Amino acid sequence: MDHPDTPHNAEHAAEQAVETSTHSSPRVPFGATHLGVLAILAGVFALLARSLDGALPMILAAVVAALVPRRHGWSVRGPIALMAALLALFIVKTWPGVVSAGAGGQPPTEAGHLLSWIVFFPIGSAVAVLLLPRDKAELIKGLTLALMLGAFCFTLPLLGVTMGRGYHFNENVAWIPAFGIHYHLAIDGVTLWLVLLTTFITPIATYASFGSIETRTKEWCFSLLMLEGGMLGAFLSLDLFLFYVFWELMLIPMYVMIGVWGGTNRIKSAIKFFLYTMFGSVLMLLAILYLAYSYARVTGAPSFDYFDLQRLLLPQHVQVLLFAAFTLAFVIKVPMFPVHTWLPDAHTEAPTAGSIILAAVMLKMGTYGYLRFSMGLFPEAAMQWAPNLAGVAVLGGIIYGALCAWKQEDVKRLIAYSSVAHLGYVMLGLFAMTQASLEGSILQMVNHGISTGMLFLLFGVIYDRRHTRHIDEFGGLTKPMPVYAALFVVATLASVGLPGTNGFIGEFMVITGTFASNKLGRFNGVQAAGGAIGVILGAVYMLMVVQKMFFGPVTKKENANLRDINARELVAVAPLVMMIFVIGLFPNIFLSRIGGAAARVQDDFDARVVANPAPAYYAGPIRLLPARPEAPKTMPELTAIATAAKEAP
Amino acid sequence: MFSLFPVNDYALIAVILGMPLLGAFVNGIWGKRLGDAAVKLMALTAMAVSFLAALVAFVMLADAVGAEKNEHVKLTWMAWEWMHTSGGYGGSSIPIDVKFSIDALSGVMMLIITGVGFLIHLYASSYMEGDPGYARFFAYLNLFVFSMLVLVLADNLPLLFVGWEGVGLCSYLLIGFWYENAANAAAGKKAFIANRIGDFGLLCGMFLLAHYTDSLDWNGIAHGARNLILPGEAFRVYVWPLGNGQYTGLLHFLQPAHPLTVSAATAVGLALLLGCTGKSAQIPLYVWLPDAMAGPTPVSALIHAATMVTAGIYLICRLSFVFVLSPFVMMVIAIVGASTALLAATIAVVQNDIKKVLAYSTVSQLGFMFLGVGVGAFTAGFFHVFTHAFFKACLFLGAGSVIHAMHARIHDDVDAQDIRKMGGLRKWLPWTHITFAAATAAIIGLPFTSGFFSKDEILYRAFVDHTVSPVTAAHSFVPPGWIGPLLFWIAVLAATLTSFYMCRVYILTFWGDFKGWTVGRPSLLATQEAEHGGHDDHGHHHDDLTTPGYPPHESAWQMTVPLMVLGLFSLFAGFLNPGFHLLKPENKPMDHWLEPVFKEASEHAVLFGHGNDEAWAEHMEWPLAACGFLAFAIGSALAYYVYVRKNGEPTKRLAEAAPGLYQLVLDKWRVDELYDATVLAAVDSLADTSAVVDRTIVDGILARLTSMIVAASGTVLRALQTGVVQVYAATMVVGIAFIAWFFAAPHASYTLTDSGNDDYVVTAAPGVGYGYRWDSDGDGTPDKPSFGADSTLKLHLAPGKDVTVNLEVKNAFGLVKKAAIHVARPNAPVSQL
Repeated sequence: MDHPDTPHNAEHAAEQAVETSTHSSPRVPFGATHLGVLAILAGVFALLARSLDGALPMILAAVVAALVPRRHGWSVRGPIALMAALLALFIVKTWPGVVSAGAGGQPPTEAGHLLSWIVFFPIGSAVAVLLLPRDKAELIKGLTLALMLGAFCFTLPLLGVTMGRGYHFNENVAWIPAFGIHYHLAIDGVTLWLVLLTTFITPIATYASFGSIETRTKEWCFSLLMLEGGMLGAFLSLDLFLFYVFWELMLIPMYVMIGVWGGTNRIKSAIKFFLYTMFGSVLMLLAILYLAYSYARVTGAPSFDYFDLQRLLLPQHVQVLLFAAFTLAFVIKVPMFPVHTWLPDAHTEAPTAGSIILAAVMLKMGTYGYLRFSMGLFPEAAMQWAPNLAGVAVLGGIIYGALCAWKQEDVKRLIAYSSVAHLGYVMLGLFAMTQASLEGSILQMVNHGISTGMLFLLFGVIYDRRHTRHIDEFGGLTKPMPVYAALFVVATLASVGLPGTNGFIGEFMVITGTFASNKLGRFNGVQAAGGAIGVILGAVYMLMVVQKMFFGPVTKKENANLRDINARELVAVAPLVMMIFVIGLFPNIFLSRIGGAAARVQDDFDARVVANPAPAYYAGPIRLLPARPEAPKTMPELTAIATAAKEAP
Repeated sequence: MFSLFPVNDYALIAVILGMPLLGAFVNGIWGKRLGDAAVKLMALTAMAVSFLAALVAFVMLADAVGAEKNEHVKLTWMAWEWMHTSGGYGGSSIPIDVKFSIDALSGVMMLIITGVGFLIHLYASSYMEGDPGYARFFAYLNLFVFSMLVLVLADNLPLLFVGWEGVGLCSYLLIGFWYENAANAAAGKKAFIANRIGDFGLLCGMFLLAHYTDSLDWNGIAHGARNLILPGEAFRVYVWPLGNGQYTGLLHFLQPAHPLTVSAATAVGLALLLGCTGKSAQIPLYVWLPDAMAGPTPVSALIHAATMVTAGIYLICRLSFVFVLSPFVMMVIAIVGASTALLAATIAVVQNDIKKVLAYSTVSQLGFMFLGVGVGAFTAGFFHVFTHAFFKACLFLGAGSVIHAMHARIHDDVDAQDIRKMGGLRKWLPWTHITFAAATAAIIGLPFTSGFFSKDEILYRAFVDHTVSPVTAAHSFVPPGWIGPLLFWIAVLAATLTSFYMCRVYILTFWGDFKGWTVGRPSLLATQEAEHGGHDDHGHHHDDLTTPGYPPHESAWQMTVPLMVLGLFSLFAGFLNPGFHLLKPENKPMDHWLEPVFKEASEHAVLFGHGNDEAWAEHMEWPLAACGFLAFAIGSALAYYVYVRKNGEPTKRLAEAAPGLYQLVLDKWRVDELYDATVLAAVDSLADTSAVVDRTIVDGILARLTSMIVAASGTVLRALQTGVVQVYAATMVVGIAFIAWFFAAPHASYTLTDSGNDDYVVTAAPGVGYGYRWDSDGDGTPDKPSFGADSTLKLHLAPGKDVTVNLEVKNAFGLVKKAAIHVARPNAPVSQL
């Protein structure tokens, strides 16, 4: 191969580098060597991508991305180029309407146990990590990261399926038949992106944490993998018992993470986090048991299956009680006013990776739970309470959360309160129940995961350098850390919902969808306007942070010589930056996969509330309604079909 | 001609938009590595190509318009499908695409942005020379041009919002460009937040439009706009009580006798107007613009004078067919415009910072534009946008050239911009002087310059025009007859002040004696010092201004050429729309060009009183034009008299005579302080309260109180575990007594089961020695007189019926307990949809 790096060229390049670096800090000279490596890299991509449709965008993205980092070598350029190329491929391959019908017009087959792999691969990995020798910290870290990337790869085939209205990759096996407990996993448009978000953000958080976690590495990696498995299981379970198992399973690793690797008040915060969540979960468990018992009263045999329990029509006063039990568990997790005060404490004391995962994924468990279970199982009760709860989401979440955030002096507390405000939008969209508001809510769950995850990640960077969270300790950081400042501003803009970033799409759809809602009594207009006020307040507190941290003169001498963002941190944050713009510019990739499920959720809901309208709520005995059309076939039905097929000839 | 770029797939827009974006990207990411020369090349090439493409597009548009016999032609380009939202009570899906279009209105805006933008880039390439943030500056500036183009070329409201926020972001970044000065960063934040308040209005406007017109793109909104004024409750927006709720109990006094409602058109108009006042710096949100002058001067020229701040007027023009549906909103726009014009002009009279004067002058001129569009004279208002872009950009760039010259010796930013330190500069800055003079002539309305024509038209139309609602329902609003003349006289007063303060700035800067420093041959020592300091060494270097120094110097050609071009346009652009009614529309190219855009809206603009009398309007033209001319003549003559003949003495005496008033005006009527003390203080204390409530009450009750209760009950229960056997025995006796009582009393518990086929079974709970007596029809008399062992009762119930069954339970002790059981058949079974 004709290598361009001849001595003459190299000399020339070095001269150029000296010439251009006269008035800035020393940097990697951008010379012919790099161009050569770049050419090789481009060639590799060309070969790799030749058989794919996205070859040109991939190469272009990779080349541009490789050129972006200024002060870092190929350890940064390479991964970033690779990420950009994969992202380009992702855009090309998942563009709405592109998902092909597969060979011969048949829909692509859904691999049998994919969801089990997704859930149990991280859990199995966690066990595997336990078997490694404790003193090989680097090996443990490397393996954990590789396993997490593997888990991410397991979730990619989900994108190849046309989601539509239904459930996919259905797995339903009797687990404890005597109690009607099944091992039932399935995925639909609601959970698709939440699952992908989980497997996407966990490796990022883990990778970022390796710089700051120095003790008990093995236990740390074990906790992270268990946590990932628990979260994925909770998103994918459609048996309430199984859901509860995973719900509790993910609580413990997070409790341990805060309690062991957290800040000075870690024990108190960990216990607070645990007690709050536990309080809600216990009530939910009671409600789950009552539901299974009610099912047994109607059919003779208990069941914990979501689709069985969805068919129960309970009298309104019972529904409201059960709804309250479920919803309390979920709103504590979200968290909504007034049960949100565990969150700032948990965030401030949690290690950076803990904060990222807590904000990005675990809080979504609450919003997801409300959508799937509270609204899915108790539509009439949800309908009755939606206007009031939406009022709480607007006043107590969007407005109160933002006002509280403004007055925090601890940056992590501030970001925690901003989560309360952002999740207020998500909950508002769920309560409003229109096509746009539901899609916006589900997308906003993902958006919040990315932009708030990025804020916590970036704050972790400065925390590792300064070990303080107090906002007045910073000031003028742009001078010593320009790249870091630019990235923080990007995260801020996504957080305040600047159009073109992901935050705008979610907020816009939620607000406009809320105004179009007929499920909020007469208050849809007021609540939409209240949501819009949050747009102002969001700018107020986030710009306050940016101004105090980054602008003005450097006030503290400790800050004058801080290192700018390092290679590890840059690689960790790069995919989040890219996703902010991908979602902001091409939201249809995401919305097109959510839309069908959002429509189904509405239809299921409307079928019930139209038949039992307020104020003449259903008050009769428990009834069993026909199964919803999209519900997967239950095991007996499937067996019957199989037997019939066998007997047919 | 349209084979390469068909009208419906006009991909040339990608070039117009793409070049500035590319420039921003390249300079933003690689600028530092590329070096200043490459940055300059990239930025200027991007702007030049974008301008040329825009010019081609404009010519092609004109061609298409000619072919279509002056219909509303659009060149559209659909990039990709973006997202969608719900409208009309969630029933319909509104697509929102990344789609751009060029029509007559956006075509003109596009030319201003790229053309003036190119000139200002050229100017800045010299002005910013040597700044450490050179690449960053051009990245931001290119990004601004891109965002502004998105704003004007967007084919729907959410996409416009992308540009709208994008220009706000660039403005934020550029105001705080020299971020190490905390005041600059604060000014940027203020601008962003004031704009965000406006954005709140725009968001509200968007969801109202989505709901009522079922569309968010221009054609769709135009199509559905009639829905905004349909009669009926569904088309009215409830303002008070909130959400048409009912206040009962303590809050009952808040309940009005009749709910306060406005028509959807008014609600949409007011919401959008709030957005426009934010971006275009009108009352009540104008306070950010003067502070925005903290940014580099080319930024003030491009963003805070020529382009971004006119976005509000652009939006009103773009949605003119929505605004005219509500005469009330139109009147509010006109009043906001006229009062802003006057208020800002009064402040500008006393300011001494050359950029501050120009900033307030911008606010004032934007007020004139609002006045124009508010009375339904959309073309006149927009024409003022057009001419203002030239003369105000020229003024700011001229001011920049002056500041550049002053900076050679005066390194303090405030002093370098103080007009009291200038004077006599026409000797040393001839090109700057002549172009500044031309632009001043235009802004003060010297006859036959551009500003004369555009301002005169606005004044005239303010007097004679107003809009009426197209529906004559009872609630349509008719503006009072005196409003037109009132607005006219306010505007004339503002115009008089304008010509006074602009002449004042011009005279103090360029005439008289130079007051900056002693001009002469510098001593060797001073020369060395000056060279050592360099003019870009902001604020650190103070030399003694009394020692002789070189006179101020004229700027490089990159700065003077844009000045000349803009100066020429300031003088002659007015002939594109000479505002005399004597001329036929064909002789007014701008009127003719924009006619299809405003066709729908201008149908609603009618003449005041006098039976819509054209003859009366024509009759009034010369007297009104004379008033406009007098405004110019009196203002400039007064300035000449005061500052040239009397050397500023009369103003000093006036200031001494009324020091309080002078200080009040100098402090900008203390509006900032008023906002601080009212709105900001209120929100601030609300936030403080929230934070305290959260820490003490919410967390206090839920976490601390709960844990205290748990701990306290633990303490109480621990006290019971005394270990004294007698206490345990006593407790046991009490417990047994309770259990005995429970078994001795009968319990009428039951379960109700639905056994299908309309049959229900009531089963009473069993008990030792229980007898049951039923009353199945609920009439009060039992079915059987005696108690029996039958613990179940079967019922048959037709759909929709209900019955109350009475159950009596008697136990072995002869005690009786009764229960009433209500059985209701549910509504028709839920069907599977």
